[in-house]
Amino acid sequence: MKDISIVFKREFRTYFYSPIAYVFSIIFIVLNTSLYMFHFFFIGNCDMRSFFSSLPLVLGLIFIPAISMRLWSEEKKLGTIELLLTMPVRTEYIVLGKFLASFAFYLIALAGTLTIPVALLILGKPDFGPIIGGYFGAALLGGFFLSIGIFISSFFSDQIISLIITSLVCGFLVLIGWQYVPMVIDGWIPGLGEFLYKYIGVTRHFNDIERGVINIQSIIYFLSFTMLFLYLNAKVLERRKY
Amino acid sequence: MIELQNVSKYYGTVCALDDVSFSIKKGEIIGLVGPNGAGKTTAMKIITTYTAPTRGKASVGGYDVIENPLEVRRLIGYLPETVPLYDDMLVSEYLEFMGQIRHLNGTLKKRLDWVVEACGLESVLKRKIGVLSKGYRQRTCLAQAMIHDPDVLILDEPTSGLDPIQIIGIRELIKQLAKDKTIILSTHILPEVSTVSDRILVISRGRVVADGSFDDLISKVTKRGSIYIAVKTGKKDFQAAMKSITEIDELSFDGTVPRNIVGCHIYYNPAKIDMVAELNKIIRERKWDILDFRRERLSLEESFIRLTQSSDLKNGSSNNR
Repeated sequence: MKDISIVFKREFRTYFYSPIAYVFSIIFIVLNTSLYMFHFFFIGNCDMRSFFSSLPLVLGLIFIPAISMRLWSEEKKLGTIELLLTMPVRTEYIVLGKFLASFAFYLIALAGTLTIPVALLILGKPDFGPIIGGYFGAALLGGFFLSIGIFISSFFSDQIISLIITSLVCGFLVLIGWQYVPMVIDGWIPGLGEFLYKYIGVTRHFNDIERGVINIQSIIYFLSFTMLFLYLNAKVLERRKY
Repeated sequence: MIELQNVSKYYGTVCALDDVSFSIKKGEIIGLVGPNGAGKTTAMKIITTYTAPTRGKASVGGYDVIENPLEVRRLIGYLPETVPLYDDMLVSEYLEFMGQIRHLNGTLKKRLDWVVEACGLESVLKRKIGVLSKGYRQRTCLAQAMIHDPDVLILDEPTSGLDPIQIIGIRELIKQLAKDKTIILSTHILPEVSTVSDRILVISRGRVVADGSFDDLISKVTKRGSIYIAVKTGKKDFQAAMKSITEIDELSFDGTVPRNIVGCHIYYNPAKIDMVAELNKIIRERKWDILDFRRERLSLEESFIRLTQSSDLKNGSSNNR
């Protein structure tokens, strides 16, 4: 536990050294709230449906890849990975410390959008069930995408390549959960689209939680995939030796 | 303390180490010498558990690098060749982090003070690592390697990028540490190994081509002794006198001395004759005035080139087979 917290602290502090993280957080908050405000004034509903429906794509395409790209790529570029991985600390703990640092940073950025529910509370009487569920789902979804991002960044020493590939993978996972994308794929290879939608697509699970339906299956989906990628990350780093 | 048994390492099809075995006792300082790409860094990476050998066994302090990597890592302080540092941290923050991750708790403060002083980092403690000069980066990374007072220090080119005064400082530091530590340092600056290390391992093309003290190596590369002598006499007289010693292989006269003086390099086989005694006898007999008399050694560079080249020849012939 101590090892995890030492790695966590250094990693978390590093986010505040670099302007990139600030810039992306501001973009994230401004983009999400302004997209939402547009809907809010247009439709005039006192809920956050439109916010949570655009969130997966914004997270998967831009924000998560931007904060996960440096986790290993930077270590590889600087060469510090050589010292870090020869410290008397289990690789799993290093991975977990790094992951938790990026997750904490993500939660802070996500907390920046809490201005919306506050505004709703002042302007009307929102139903808090779906809003709390939505934030809970967003935390799970962010963790899942971050685990993919940290895994991918361990393969490349170039942060931009890590960013692009993470963005592609997460974007794919979001799109495959949209009704019509699997239908198109089913048109090419019957059954494949359906399969991807059911077992791999992220949106379906996220929507469940976001609707306020705290579905054990969906929670397990997010947690187990997150852990799988973190585990694979540690294994890949160990394999690098051979 | 450190054991390598028939270790080979391949990167894909490229062979970086080819059946290397050596063992290093506690308290020894080993100079790992070889041209670029010889496998020095690979050997160090295997010892520090950063990469695993393709074949063979390596162990540090009795712990196998594959089976018990964490125990091995605890024993080792490592300064990689590339001097990797987190550029956006302060020197003090970085050293503190490295101390914490090495599990120094109560002693951290004391150890920090010690390494900062030993490496001369007081003036840059509150600076960002990214703005440091190369010399300070090198010293910061060295401080990191020593912070936990390790039994084994692995230093990959510890003095590259330092100015001559700093190099002397680092050498002194290494000698000081050597009392109770096992140290491996790699370099291609040859004078460095002869001043610091007890034992030299020469690696070329992934093989150990020589292993021994500096003097062993010199006598291994050359069976030839050499003495330079300058005496006040005529050249003919000198040549006539030298004819009496049949063991002389070659005389090479020095053209830079004045006319009435003879300067000459005398090459011979030290196994066959005690040349110093022999020359002394002649000088006394002929009552020459001695202006210069010294035993010459092959320069390190010269012996180094011979060693690595002779291994090239060996490899060449084995390839032809």
